[in-house]
Amino acid sequence: MNILIIEDEKDIAQSVSRYLEKEGYHCEWVNNFDQAWEKINLYSYDCMIVDIMLPDGSGLDIVEKLKLLRSKSGIIIVSAKNSLEDKVKGLEIGADDYLTKPFDLSELNARVKAVIRRKSFDGQSQIIFNEIVVLTEERKVSVKGKTISLTKKEFDLLLFFISNENRVLTKESIAEHLWGDHMDIADSFDFIYAHLKNLRKKILEQGGGDYIQTIYGVGYKMHKP
Amino acid sequence: MKLLSLTNRYYISSILVIFIVGSIVSFQILKSTINREFNEKLFAERDQFIYEWHTYDGLREVLYLNIGDQIEVQSVDHRPEIEETLKDTVMFGAYEKKDLSFRKLRFADELNGQYYIITITKSLLPNEDLIQGIGEIMLFLITALIITLVLINRWIAGMVLEPFYYTLAAIKEFNITKPGPIDLMDTNVDEFKELNSVLDKMIVKNQKDYLNLKEFTENASHEIQTPLTIIKSKAELLLQESSLDEEALNDVMHIYEAAGRLSKLKHGLSLLTKIENNQFEDSEPINLKRFLEKEVNNLEELINLKELTLEKSYKAEPILVLNYDLAYILVTNLLNNAIKHNTERGRIAVTLNESELIIENTGRPIKGDPALLFERFKKNSHTKDSSGLGLALVKKICDLYGIKIIYSVNSNLHRMALSF
Repeated sequence: MNILIIEDEKDIAQSVSRYLEKEGYHCEWVNNFDQAWEKINLYSYDCMIVDIMLPDGSGLDIVEKLKLLRSKSGIIIVSAKNSLEDKVKGLEIGADDYLTKPFDLSELNARVKAVIRRKSFDGQSQIIFNEIVVLTEERKVSVKGKTISLTKKEFDLLLFFISNENRVLTKESIAEHLWGDHMDIADSFDFIYAHLKNLRKKILEQGGGDYIQTIYGVGYKMHKP
Repeated sequence: MKLLSLTNRYYISSILVIFIVGSIVSFQILKSTINREFNEKLFAERDQFIYEWHTYDGLREVLYLNIGDQIEVQSVDHRPEIEETLKDTVMFGAYEKKDLSFRKLRFADELNGQYYIITITKSLLPNEDLIQGIGEIMLFLITALIITLVLINRWIAGMVLEPFYYTLAAIKEFNITKPGPIDLMDTNVDEFKELNSVLDKMIVKNQKDYLNLKEFTENASHEIQTPLTIIKSKAELLLQESSLDEEALNDVMHIYEAAGRLSKLKHGLSLLTKIENNQFEDSEPINLKRFLEKEVNNLEELINLKELTLEKSYKAEPILVLNYDLAYILVTNLLNNAIKHNTERGRIAVTLNESELIIENTGRPIKGDPALLFERFKKNSHTKDSSGLGLALVKKICDLYGIKIIYSVNSNLHRMALSF
């Protein structure tokens, strides 16, 4: 799986590619519009992470060009501006997702996976984590073949964990993933804890394993033993 | 009050005063002149009478009828002890068939040893008619003058004040977020020329300031986000390092948290600035009931987790024209607050009617002045997850749309009432 990162800030690009490469993706990085233009005309990528503000052009133009080329790659726009206008425009001209800086790498990773899933399986996709099977489009989860019923937040939580297998997820990133950036509730972490408790219980009840580990003071991590 | 009615009021009242004073004065002058003339006529008649009376002996024998003035000759035996007197009197006029004013001149005379008292009575009617006529003319003149004045004023106001009204309309239409010069009418009137040029300068300066501020806000937003993203992402990478011990991990976590807080703070502040700068323009009609239902639904899981009782009462479906994002921030901030500051197994009540949205929640008493609740950074609890901007944002959004928000607390029941 190839990913192109179009980002003028070297440090950000490095962090992103380090995180994504551990997921098994091959990442390429360009830091300006011209290089990006060259790359998209020569190669094809499964997913592109496009910063809107580039020193020599707008990332939105790249998105438009990709659509013109009937490119099949997923596009995630990353912007420092939290502007609805840009977001609406980006999605209108064909981007698949929109993320505002500063973002969590775990969030970006989950979005990249979601975009690639949508693109490559034409909406049919299942993720298998040992005995847990997640049907992402139907939003159904089964453990050892038996469907378990999860609330919307529990499902989102599980998918977020499975997308970031073996990664430490901070409570902040989980809160933002579940409730968005307007989440400003002091005891949101209690809610995360409560959701996790319910999720664990539902999986354990069907004979699934307990894969979510608490990392003290930081957050949680889901991993196979 | 309109400028025109104000000037008209002054014009008309000063004209009325001048007219009343002028009328009284001219009435008096006319009256005394006419009186004097009249008396002189009477005296002249007296002299003429005495002359004729003394000269033509035949007069005393002849019955002479003078229809004009009435002359009464009364012979008396002894010398009458009377002074010459002038007296106004009212008598019945046979012709006009009503009481009329007359003036009487009474004097004594002696002829051939015989004494007479002579009275000449003269009708005052022509003089009264004259004064009345003059009064009527003045009344007509003044009415005509006032009507003309009002009409001319209205016409002048329409014509002369046109550039002024045009400018006024242009200012009303003016929106600082829209670039370009303001459309003012060319005029030859110095005052309006000056007004327009001052306005033009002011507006150009304001637009420049506004653009600078906007640019600054956008730049600050962008330039701060980039290093923040670097800090956050590097911290996140470090958190994945299995080689770090717990202490180091905790330190990294603090860096990560601080970066997150800074980002939220910046987000809140730039939102406030944007609202203050009127940068949220696209408004749309929002069905508040449906909007509330959706947001309350989104939070219901949290409400259940906190074991709060939620009472919803939507009695109407008011439609408000708001920016969607701002409406979202307004409603979620209020609802989040009601959840956040609630007590264990507390209660939240959301009531909506045609002109009011009331969100009530049980909660601990707030420390400090409730009036400062909507100020920035006046947070009650010093929790790191509260930016201290939530209610300031709520207030700003309410102000922007002219929504009145009132906070009150009554025995640990906090109440936010929005009236629109």
